Amino acid sequence: MIRLKNVSKSYGTFTAVSRVNILIDRGEVYGIIGASGAGKSTVLRLMNQLEIPDEGKVFVKDEDLTELSKRKLRASRKGIGMIFQHFNLVANKSVYENVAIALKLARVSKEAERSRVEECLAFVGLTEQREKYPAQLSGGQKQRVAIARALANQPDVLLCDEPTSSLDPHTTKEILGVLENINQTLGVTVVIVSHEMDVIKSVCDRVSVMSEGAIYKTIPIVKTGIQASDRSPERFVEELTDDA
Amino acid sequence: MPEIILRYQGEIWQAIGETFIMVGASILAAVLVGLPVGTLLYLCRKGQLLENRWIFSTLNLIVNVIRSFPFLLLVVFLIPFTRLIMGTAIGTAAATVPLSIIAFAHYSRLVEQSLLDIPKGVIDAALAMGASVKEVVFRFLFVEARSGLVLGLTTSTISFISYSTIMGVVGGGGVGDFAIRYGYQQFQTDLMLYMIVIMVILVQSIQFTGTYVARKIDKR
Repeated sequence: MIRLKNVSKSYGTFTAVSRVNILIDRGEVYGIIGASGAGKSTVLRLMNQLEIPDEGKVFVKDEDLTELSKRKLRASRKGIGMIFQHFNLVANKSVYENVAIALKLARVSKEAERSRVEECLAFVGLTEQREKYPAQLSGGQKQRVAIARALANQPDVLLCDEPTSSLDPHTTKEILGVLENINQTLGVTVVIVSHEMDVIKSVCDRVSVMSEGAIYKTIPIVKTGIQASDRSPERFVEELTDDA
Repeated sequence: MPEIILRYQGEIWQAIGETFIMVGASILAAVLVGLPVGTLLYLCRKGQLLENRWIFSTLNLIVNVIRSFPFLLLVVFLIPFTRLIMGTAIGTAAATVPLSIIAFAHYSRLVEQSLLDIPKGVIDAALAMGASVKEVVFRFLFVEARSGLVLGLTTSTISFISYSTIMGVVGGGGVGDFAIRYGYQQFQTDLMLYMIVIMVILVQSIQFTGTYVARKIDKR
């Protein structure tokens, strides 16, 4: 589904990514983990050419993105969803409009747009919030809007750049549940970049560990699944005093 | 109504009309030229979508040079140019030329500033959705920056009113010129004060409207 072949990227004298090879299968949930500055976000952004590699090839669905014209690249990007740590919603657009914009860019008809937005909002459980603006939503709800927006054009791939890193543990599990659901019910290939071990362990099939711009090792994961969470204050106290 | 105002009623209305023409032309130039120039300044900056050092430095220099002139000197300096395009350098219509030039330079900086305030992640999201540069600008940047753009235009408009008062030197007329010639120079201090009151009311209502609209369209 996604293949990076000998990809390198540097900024000035700093080498962000060097000679990375990755092969991600269709339907996989693939993790990339590493410390800050290890190059994991850059690798993810190479997969939809938000970063252009200095060297190497990037294939998505057997199409070499590095060879495409700007127009063809824009068309291909519509089949690759992406979500971000800080959600990156349009603050002056309502929840509905934020999802609709993905369809407007794809020149979808007004009627098709309406039904598709409703479908996507229903999928992430935000039908009731459609008239609200991002400032009126919680972090978890914002990420759900971003997911609905990324799903609008029925992508085969969903790229997730630290999708839960600004969320609390409980909301993190909710969002991971949504991502798992996307993978299992819609068959979307999901790539998750995270520095949180728990996130990777609970949903990924395989993970690449990155260090200093290179892949240190790629290993299969025995999924722990998403543990049910309890966010009562008693539970917080219990967790905090556990080791003592 | 004070007697002195009634006596000069005709001239006052004419002066107000001239001020509106001069400020209106400035606003038009700000929106039609300043908005695109400010957007280009933003887009051509280092690290932005259309990064282009040559276009950026050229526009940046033009805007800085125009804004460096004491406005009165800019008006005088531009006389040959004004005569070239308007046929004359004297009168209200001719006065709109230097005003339009300072107007676009003034507003383009404020446009650039408003665009720089938008978090860059929004652009990432737009590009990831397959947006073209034009779509990024019109569907994302202008939407996110809209209240800043309105507030900037409000600030600019008030400056344009101030600039327009200088245009008396080239026969541009306007409320400011009337206040100086009929009020100050003919020792009719009360008339001068009434004109200042008119300017204050004008500025107040523009600021109030601008702030109100900017708040109304800001959902952040």
